Amino acid sequence: MAVVEELRELLGDDRVLDDPLERHIYSKDASLMRGNPTCVVFPKSTEDVVRILAIASSHDAPVVARGAGTGLTAGASPTEGGIVVSMTGMNSIEFDEANSMAWVGPGVINLDLSKEAARFGLHFAPDPSSQSACTIGGNLANNSGGPHCLAEGSTTSHVLAVEFVTADGEVIVTGGAAPDTPGLDIRALVVGSEGTLGIATKILVRLLPLPQDVRTLLLSFSSVEAAAKTVSDVIAAGLVPAALEMMDQRMTQAVENWLQAGLPVDAAAILLAEVVGSPVAVESEARLIESIGVQNDAIDVVIAADSAERDLLWKGRKSAFGAVAQLAPDYYLHDTVVPRTRLVETMTGVYEIADRLGLTMVNVFHAGDGNLHPLIAFDSSDSDAARRVRQAGDEIVALCLANGGALSGEHGVGVEKRELMASSFSELDLDAQARVKDVFDPAHLLNPAKILPAGSRCFDFGGVKREVPEGAWI
Amino acid sequence: MTLATMETEIPGAPDGIHVEPKSVDEVVEVLRHATEHGIPVRVWGGGTRQKMGVAPPEGLVMSTAGLAAVEVWEPDDLTMVVGAGKAVGQLEGELEESRQTAVLPENSPNSTVGGVIATGWAPLRRARMLGLRERVLEITSVTGDGRVVRSGGRVVKNVSGYDLHKASVGAFGSLGVVVSVCLKLWPVPPVTATFTMRDPDQSYRLNRPLALLETEDELRLFSWGTQAEIDDLASWVDGDFVTGHRWPEDPGGEFRWSLRVPPALTTDAIDKGRPWPFLAIHGAGEVRFASESLDGAVELRSWAHSVGGSLVLIDHPGETPSIDPWGAEPPAVDLQRRLIGEFDPARIINPGRLPGDL
Repeated sequence: MAVVEELRELLGDDRVLDDPLERHIYSKDASLMRGNPTCVVFPKSTEDVVRILAIASSHDAPVVARGAGTGLTAGASPTEGGIVVSMTGMNSIEFDEANSMAWVGPGVINLDLSKEAARFGLHFAPDPSSQSACTIGGNLANNSGGPHCLAEGSTTSHVLAVEFVTADGEVIVTGGAAPDTPGLDIRALVVGSEGTLGIATKILVRLLPLPQDVRTLLLSFSSVEAAAKTVSDVIAAGLVPAALEMMDQRMTQAVENWLQAGLPVDAAAILLAEVVGSPVAVESEARLIESIGVQNDAIDVVIAADSAERDLLWKGRKSAFGAVAQLAPDYYLHDTVVPRTRLVETMTGVYEIADRLGLTMVNVFHAGDGNLHPLIAFDSSDSDAARRVRQAGDEIVALCLANGGALSGEHGVGVEKRELMASSFSELDLDAQARVKDVFDPAHLLNPAKILPAGSRCFDFGGVKREVPEGAWI
Repeated sequence: MTLATMETEIPGAPDGIHVEPKSVDEVVEVLRHATEHGIPVRVWGGGTRQKMGVAPPEGLVMSTAGLAAVEVWEPDDLTMVVGAGKAVGQLEGELEESRQTAVLPENSPNSTVGGVIATGWAPLRRARMLGLRERVLEITSVTGDGRVVRSGGRVVKNVSGYDLHKASVGAFGSLGVVVSVCLKLWPVPPVTATFTMRDPDQSYRLNRPLALLETEDELRLFSWGTQAEIDDLASWVDGDFVTGHRWPEDPGGEFRWSLRVPPALTTDAIDKGRPWPFLAIHGAGEVRFASESLDGAVELRSWAHSVGGSLVLIDHPGETPSIDPWGAEPPAVDLQRRLIGEFDPARIINPGRLPGDL
């Protein structure tokens, strides 16, 4: 029996889609790379996932788990074909209020979790800009971050346990509500593995209390250097604010043109800082940040007067990528990290690359942890522009690595940066990672041809079965 | 070069050939030799938690003391690359001068960076600052068959590949002997304070304290922040307060234990363990106990398992523990075994110390 028929028999017609339009819709995530899936299935339980994997395995069909499809590196694009497993139907939340935790289905939307948790006075700390759409399963797969990860850490810091299904159908629970489960910390490998080691079916997350009080500051500077120096000085003063976000002038102008939030469009850079804690703490910390900003020649410091003003400032930050639609029909968003002290020189280099290649680039980034998000606005129907965008991407990554950085801060590797892994790791490092993959998924059925470049297994080049097809970019 | 040039005498270490490699290359040589000849290697840091797990059979004892240099320290980037053999107390002392911390275990100064990573020994600030997994940004390790492998990167935020460095925390070297590590540092706020609380009920008013630690004698609150924050706490917390952090010792006894339970059961855990002396880390679900005998251990362990936790033996008299130190086989033991097999094919690094006879 063909794979689609077997899946229909298991799940019913309404949970297996294979008409051309549906397959097209699920053929890519928010990146530019498209695959060609055989079908899309919608499990509702761990048992469904086990059976789907058994059918996939018997047909040697690749399996790509997918959340909301907001990923930016083609991590959820079925570039090798096969079965797309949409986890959106597994969206239960089971709160454990006493322990400030919740078991959640991978399909739960990030913001929904925090909204639901608010009735217990809790929230989920990782807050990617896509949080109103992205899922916890996707956050787990990519070890997603967000502005508030500066003080609280990325998703890996908030995942206490994972139930996942391996390629051979074994259901494993790693971690737990109690700390330090004896034995190897398998959870550490599964988080951030982009669905290549197993399919997460249930996730125990840590929830943090809602802050007693919040202060959000907007500081404007006449130079990027002064803004970056302020970030360094704040941390040197012993403060790790909940968030320290920077936007360059071009981005600020794009956002302001759309949002009309009163953002200072004349400033070379703006810094959004947020402190949380007791009323006394936030007041004293906000004043400290203000004074450091003034010492660094801030041209203006605004402290949000109320939650409405605060929400508006954050809307400006979190909608930044949407605002870019005014500049061009498409955008390509990068994600790299450099040591924070190399931020200014890296930014200078990034601007040079964009200018040299004649590209429109804006920048918004997590300045506190050196996580850059250069964003290039372009028209993908212009093939030369698309070529220059790719070239800029390669050059930006090379620059960041040369400045002591890493490939990705929070978006993951997927297909986008797969071949670049070799510029960040030695053959032996990649071989070690390939061994991990082989232990979990020896047949390479789970999200194949992602993260690790082909041939990563030094001593066994047959280990990776599939290559990225030519012309995967569109 | 032969291992003879590395021979030394490690105080307190068991019988066997003691070696102290001075470089990563020498670690490679030791491990290759051991793999080739099937010799178990006991990795020795500060010797403070060598009794965790079942002791490896006699063979080589490899000290990491020769790998104790601070290789890179970038205070403004909040990162430090340090050799595994660096003593925790010494490292934190050096960081303190620049008002930074690596949030390593506070009351274990003689432990080494490599040792606390290998054993997954958490700091007392773990409820707020979480465990060692949070601190480890990059690890370079040497596999049993002598491959030098790096995972992670020297930046505070990174997703590129599988986090082998985080999985190395608590792995007892089974994924490779940690030789150097990049730690995520944290700035120490302007004022630090320790309160001895008279009224435990006041702890419910605290908003995510840095640490709330209870012993049979007292309840201590550890805080840091601006002067205004500390003054505010001092205005309502009923108790004595001193500036600086006065960390309590772990309880001492013939047997030492770590009880791990869901955080809300910390107070229940204290009660279940009575009359054993204890140090409870509120908010984190860990209670450290000491006892003079094994009486009551089986019952306490059984309760821990019933609530999804564990009771781990940390220290005991003699070389071989008279009770299973871990208490249960870990989940997915076959997967764990296969994973370890890729990093230590002859299973020579601390063999048997992990649960499940790994």
